[in-house]
Amino acid sequence: MSLVTGTLNQYIQFVERMFRTSQGNILARLLSLRDDHVANRNLLSSDIASLVEGNCDIILDEMIISHLLCVKSLYIKDFGTAYAHQSAFVGCVVRLLQAQKEVNWGLPLMYTVCLDLRLVAQKVEACTPQSNGKILEKAAESLLACFRVCAADNRSSDADTKRLGMLNLVNQLLKVYFRINKLHLCKPLIRAIDSSPFKDQFPLAQQITYRYFVGRKAMFDSDYRSADEYLAFAFQNCHRNSLRNKRLILTYLVPVKMLLGFMPAKHLLQKYDLLQFWDLVSAVKNGDLRGIDKVMEEHENFFIRAGIYLIVEKLKITAYRNLFRKVYLAENSHQIDIACFQAALKVMGQDDVDSDETQCIVANLIYDGKIKGYISYQHKKVVVSKQNAFPPLSSLY
Amino acid sequence: MMSSYLEFFYNYVKFPKAQNDPIVGTCNSMCPEDEIKLREAEHLVHILEVWDWGKERKLVKSFSRSAADTNMAVPRLLRPYAVLINTVQYLLFEITKRKDVPEAVVYEFVDDRLRAVRQDMTIQRLPPEECVNLLEPMIRFYVYYSHKLCNLPLKYYDPELNKRSLLECMKWYLSCSDTIDKRQRQDELSGLLSNLDLNENTKLTNDRVLVESLYIVCNLNDLHPLYRYIHHSMQLKREPKLQLAYNIAIANRQGNYIKVCRLMDKACPLTYYALFTYLPTIQRNALAVLSHAYNSKQFTIPSEVLARWLHFADEVEAQGVCAHYGLETENRSVRFDKKDFIGATSLHQLRLDGDNKSSGSQSNQRNEISIIDIFKYTTN
Repeated sequence: MSLVTGTLNQYIQFVERMFRTSQGNILARLLSLRDDHVANRNLLSSDIASLVEGNCDIILDEMIISHLLCVKSLYIKDFGTAYAHQSAFVGCVVRLLQAQKEVNWGLPLMYTVCLDLRLVAQKVEACTPQSNGKILEKAAESLLACFRVCAADNRSSDADTKRLGMLNLVNQLLKVYFRINKLHLCKPLIRAIDSSPFKDQFPLAQQITYRYFVGRKAMFDSDYRSADEYLAFAFQNCHRNSLRNKRLILTYLVPVKMLLGFMPAKHLLQKYDLLQFWDLVSAVKNGDLRGIDKVMEEHENFFIRAGIYLIVEKLKITAYRNLFRKVYLAENSHQIDIACFQAALKVMGQDDVDSDETQCIVANLIYDGKIKGYISYQHKKVVVSKQNAFPPLSSLY
Repeated sequence: MMSSYLEFFYNYVKFPKAQNDPIVGTCNSMCPEDEIKLREAEHLVHILEVWDWGKERKLVKSFSRSAADTNMAVPRLLRPYAVLINTVQYLLFEITKRKDVPEAVVYEFVDDRLRAVRQDMTIQRLPPEECVNLLEPMIRFYVYYSHKLCNLPLKYYDPELNKRSLLECMKWYLSCSDTIDKRQRQDELSGLLSNLDLNENTKLTNDRVLVESLYIVCNLNDLHPLYRYIHHSMQLKREPKLQLAYNIAIANRQGNYIKVCRLMDKACPLTYYALFTYLPTIQRNALAVLSHAYNSKQFTIPSEVLARWLHFADEVEAQGVCAHYGLETENRSVRFDKKDFIGATSLHQLRLDGDNKSSGSQSNQRNEISIIDIFKYTTN
């Protein structure tokens, strides 16, 4: 039987059989908004509810009705109503999972329905700007209801527990929270996963997505070491053909690595179409503060959209360190006049920086351990350590 | 679940104008009749509600927490927008003039009555265009008094509570501005800033740039205001006052205390006040940096230089604060030794500009601004 041309009755029977025989994966496809059967207009009769009702288990009836009504609304581009139906569908799945003890074959269905819910919610957001993230917030609540059912399933055996579905949901939720800019809501989810005994058993693909988001979160919290760890895992394990995803990960991994003192190679940036970073790399290396400003202006939109503008701004500190190191090497002395540093800053476009502010910049670098030495106010000199006066940044974190 | 969502969707998202009619207040004075009777009978009239040596009384609706068994959504207990505007104006322009009670009492009273105003706004679900006009002056009020009262002991004034009210007002204001922005973009009304009714009869102002700037400088240890700033439209980002606030925050993030203190002098009065309350933190962090960078057994830094660097009122204050953190002071200079510095002690307090007759002309100028002007000036 073809699902693309079959009748509504055939479809219902097929769904019912898959449900009865616990075939989660096929059932998930049959109730997905992204499957071929959606194109079958036979399924969208004018009176879906009454035709479906009474054919199967009450809850399955309800699911099929919600699904088909959602498809129908999508056809007429009434995304708000489509969302309402899909949301009802998720509600049914929650009840279904709650009722199914000691088995987890329903998980694939839950994944599909939840993903679809998020996609529809995104569509509604795109079409109704005044909603301002409210629909996505609602969607997150529905996803959380699923999450609770999964997280609470601690009686089943390890193979059959619904807790295995937690990471998939957490990833969905992280996507939503990043989109609506509610990063503080991520914390309990991250804690739930990190303390889960299945932490390392989740499918690799899900782990990659998870670490990508947790890495970004760590970046926003200025915890660059963890960000590096998470993002590096994601990058190394991400499938080599998933260029788009690898590029996304690198967008965050590159600036984080740079802050930690590792500069990317040009061919890497070239390969992933991230040459926006290349000018930045040379500017930071050379201590070219004017150059950094220029790059930030030129690629402002890219940096802002990626959410790394302020990280790039922070690279100026590294640039100061590199510039002063050049002065130190040129002076070839352990006692350097503040005036030399000031002159170097002037060359790099920082005209308004006077002796006081130069000292302040040096003082901060000393405080952070980026320069070993001290300042003598009386002599207006910086006295640096005879050994390792400018320790490599990568050794500091 | 579905029906409740649908209801939500149709009421708020799809047809936002057809909201199930928000309740409209009918109380045409600053205080509902019921409350006047009750408070008169119970002797709960505040001294600031008594004028002209007891001859006149002007009660203002006081804040009361919503309890489970009380219905607050009663039209005769709620004041409509026009009355709320008058109330805020009366509180800020008239009450703050009273000199017969300590300033902390004035603050506490106005704070309470403004909370009641916000409650009326919430219950009536006033539209964002009206909310911003009510919230903007409240924000000025909280910033002004956070500076004015910052040295009072906790039992008279709690900076944490002030900050909470201030943040509540700011976030509310900003989210209203965003809604207005979005609507304007939708209506394709190009580029008007939301300085909506500068020329209307109300004497209060609505200065978006000021609030955006204050949001940044009042939250210097938080990245969110900066993310907000970089997502603003070019036009807004180029506003000099807002740019100044952003530059101050960036300088502060880099630990550049010299720049922060210098830019501070360019700030408008309220931005300056907000920065001033944060100044002790900046100074303490700077002293920690200095004790590492200028760490020496022999060399010192003259107190006069420290005063210049860190925005101390004078040498004496600079020395006093350094001593507070365990640093050795001698003969008009301070010796920095990283082993001496105690960062974990309580934060020091600063003298207010007004207490200090000999301070520079700049702060005197700032001090001459009357409180009325504080509530009215605009940044442009």
